[in-house]
Amino acid sequence: MQFGGVIALDNVTLAAKKGEILAIIGPNGAGKTVLLNCISGFYRPQRGRIYLDGQRIETKPAPERAKLGLGRTFQNIELYTGLTTVQNLMAARQLFMKSNVLLDAIYFGPANKEEVAHRRVVEDIIDFLEIEPIRDVVVGALPYGLRKRVELGRALALEPKVLLLDEPMAGMNWEEKEDLCRFILDVHEGQGAVYPDFPTLRDGVDTIVLVEHDMGVVMDLADRVAVLDFGHLIAEGTPEEIKVNPRVLSAYLGEEVVA
Amino acid sequence: MKYGGANAAVCADVDTYTIPHLLLNNLSKHPNKVAVRKKDRGIWQEYTWREIYTRVRYLALGFIALGLQKGDKVTFIGDNDPELEEGIIAVQSCGGITAGAYPDSLPHELKYITEHSESRFAIAADQEQVDKFVRLKEELPLLEKVIYWDAKGLAHYASPFLMSYEQLMQLGKEYEQRYPTAFEERIATTEPDDVCALFYTSGTTAGRPKGAVLTHRSLIKFGEGTVHKCEITPGHNLVSFVSSAFIGAAFVITIPWLLTGATVNYPEEVETINRDMREIGPEVVSSVPRNWENMAAMAEMRIMDAGFLKRLCYRLFMRVGFKRAGLSYKGKKPNILWRLLFYLAEIALFHPLKDKLGLSRARVVTTGSAQMSPDTFRFWRALGLSLRQIYAGTEAGYISGHEGNDIKDDTVGTLVPGVEARVAEDGELLVRSESMFQGYYKAEQESASAIERGWFHTGDAVDIRTDDGHLVYLDRVKHLAKLNTGETFAPGYIEGRLRHSPYIKDAVVLGHGRDFVSALIAIRYDNVGRWAEKNHISYTTYTNLSQKDEVAELISKEIERVNQGLPAAVKIKRYVLLHKELDPDEAELTRTQKLRRPLVEKRYESILDSIYNGRDEVSVEATVTYQDGRQVVTKTAIKIRNCDERAR
Repeated sequence: MQFGGVIALDNVTLAAKKGEILAIIGPNGAGKTVLLNCISGFYRPQRGRIYLDGQRIETKPAPERAKLGLGRTFQNIELYTGLTTVQNLMAARQLFMKSNVLLDAIYFGPANKEEVAHRRVVEDIIDFLEIEPIRDVVVGALPYGLRKRVELGRALALEPKVLLLDEPMAGMNWEEKEDLCRFILDVHEGQGAVYPDFPTLRDGVDTIVLVEHDMGVVMDLADRVAVLDFGHLIAEGTPEEIKVNPRVLSAYLGEEVVA
Repeated sequence: MKYGGANAAVCADVDTYTIPHLLLNNLSKHPNKVAVRKKDRGIWQEYTWREIYTRVRYLALGFIALGLQKGDKVTFIGDNDPELEEGIIAVQSCGGITAGAYPDSLPHELKYITEHSESRFAIAADQEQVDKFVRLKEELPLLEKVIYWDAKGLAHYASPFLMSYEQLMQLGKEYEQRYPTAFEERIATTEPDDVCALFYTSGTTAGRPKGAVLTHRSLIKFGEGTVHKCEITPGHNLVSFVSSAFIGAAFVITIPWLLTGATVNYPEEVETINRDMREIGPEVVSSVPRNWENMAAMAEMRIMDAGFLKRLCYRLFMRVGFKRAGLSYKGKKPNILWRLLFYLAEIALFHPLKDKLGLSRARVVTTGSAQMSPDTFRFWRALGLSLRQIYAGTEAGYISGHEGNDIKDDTVGTLVPGVEARVAEDGELLVRSESMFQGYYKAEQESASAIERGWFHTGDAVDIRTDDGHLVYLDRVKHLAKLNTGETFAPGYIEGRLRHSPYIKDAVVLGHGRDFVSALIAIRYDNVGRWAEKNHISYTTYTNLSQKDEVAELISKEIERVNQGLPAAVKIKRYVLLHKELDPDEAELTRTQKLRRPLVEKRYESILDSIYNGRDEVSVEATVTYQDGRQVVTKTAIKIRNCDERAR
């Protein structure tokens, strides 16, 4: 992936395995967000391939990829700020709505049924993320931490098989981070009988890819960590291995200059 | 006791009943009537008496299958939910004894109650509460199982120590196959004089909380008092928002609910109460003074933010309201002109305001548990609400309350039928009644000193008026303070008046054994913050805001207002704006928001010394305890201020 003269991602080969939380870390400008954008279809890489479940997706537009099971959140929160929490979540469910414009307009028969079914899913998500008090609050009026939570809710509404989270904890205080960590783990594990009708929450999201700066969070959450630096993949391994990897340390701390 | 003609919902032989009997009574009388409403997934879900009975039955059978014996204790902790109430009644149906902990209890507080009550089982709401027990497991050898009702986040906790409500009910169903009448047989063994609950008192007296022992009879008598004083009927809607760990939940909500068959409504979340209240439109609302004070302060603040016309309307019509309240105290009928004005005020101001607060259908609202300032009391009366004081205590049972139109803003009403009361020589109120507690659990000495020859020493300084039979609550006997000049005063009373200000959240009034009266004041952060923004005063944190001179000026006006109503000798002379709010997490307040005076006095000793030594500033170090138990030390200088000389 290249922007003009800048090579943002160069020869990065990386696989997120089924059932794992993969964290991508790296200094600022390492290409972490570019990588997520390529995967989710926000950018189209000039070269290289992206597979989801063995299927090539790099040429598919973003909505197609969402349908195939890719859900994501953004570093700088991309919600409809003029809509309420419920409306934002319902908007994501649009992806699955089948009825036609005419029936929708008069809100009759199948359109009504469909709306109710999707609203059930949305209410499950609201219950799961404990955002009942802000159900009808316009998102633009919410504090940052809650908006992040709504955004996670929207990604879940897409029923993703793979969840991409771009700096979910950025700008949060300690307590908000702890809450969000719990939500991410709970999403990953699945809640079984608590949400019998919504497969994503019932069975969990198998694979989560997480871009994060807070090393404490990464070490707690991730099964595996990949480290990017200037568009190159410089290390990959368990959190314990990464902590002591000399290449990672030098990328973060700078190399010692020998006089 | 009678419950008003056609609405008579309670059997004549209620004296022979236990709490499970009351449930059975509702089942036979109106199985398909809505007993409980709970907002879930944004929709009000309704449950009939039959459904509640069925769930209680299987939960109880499950407990029996687990080996719960008569007299076994069960600790519960969690936010109010129908499931919690079902669990409590199930345990009591088995002859078990419940002991409640407040949902925000820290692990060591929860451990104390579970340990002291020797609980074999625990009922917990969700992951948050279950985690506390899991952490305490090794320290609580007697605790066999924790049963939870909200399984979110717990799917992967596989442990024989934990069990969900569904699993317990399944166990109950299997047990029923073998012993189909076990539930009924167990209920038949319960007697009115069996102990059914321990209520741990918040312990304003310092030291460890004590477990007050209550029987079925005392709780039912307690609830009867509420039904009588608040005229609750089967058609009424009640709202559950007082924690079940507090006896208030039992005697103002649960028992009246079981006695009358009314409907209890559960808000979706603690944070959505305000909105849910509007949707419920309850006829009877019971809350603590702090809550009424908060709501009044919020309403007044909103008005201050409104435009000129609205403010003018508010001021004019509130006067009309006060006039109406004043007339009703005196038992006078207003003339035609005033009646017209009341009508106008009702449509222009009172109804919309009450509607916003979810009180538009409220017939009777009550306050209890702590003292309420007459100012707040008058505010709500002015809106046309029949606000009534309840005077009751975990140990004392129901003592007195306002009734019908016999309401006075400076009293706590007349005695509940069946309660005997007298005032001892030192001014302390002694009571004797059936709703009284039996003593403190595992504390014979304390029980003996609290109950002497059947009379409970309330520790409250109360005056029983001879002309109208009303009780006037002064303060705790030991809190009545005496200045070096010999003047006595009631700090609690002054604090209540201060708290009525929209800018003051908490106040501690001091002066016992000193030369003059002083006050520690915690400002109300949101309201003062908004006031500061409006007046272009910049601030960063609570501490910073509290030490602004402009804020001090604002507060000193509020103090002057209170000082005007006080005798010259006990007016507040010096005060401090505290650098932090008083916090139950730091044990400065109890979980029911009552002040722990000795602890606060000790903690702020250096400030007190500076006040009385005439200094102008004092440096304080405060240890702040976060909800998770971490402690951080902050250091700051706070100013000591003098009240305006002109005020005195």
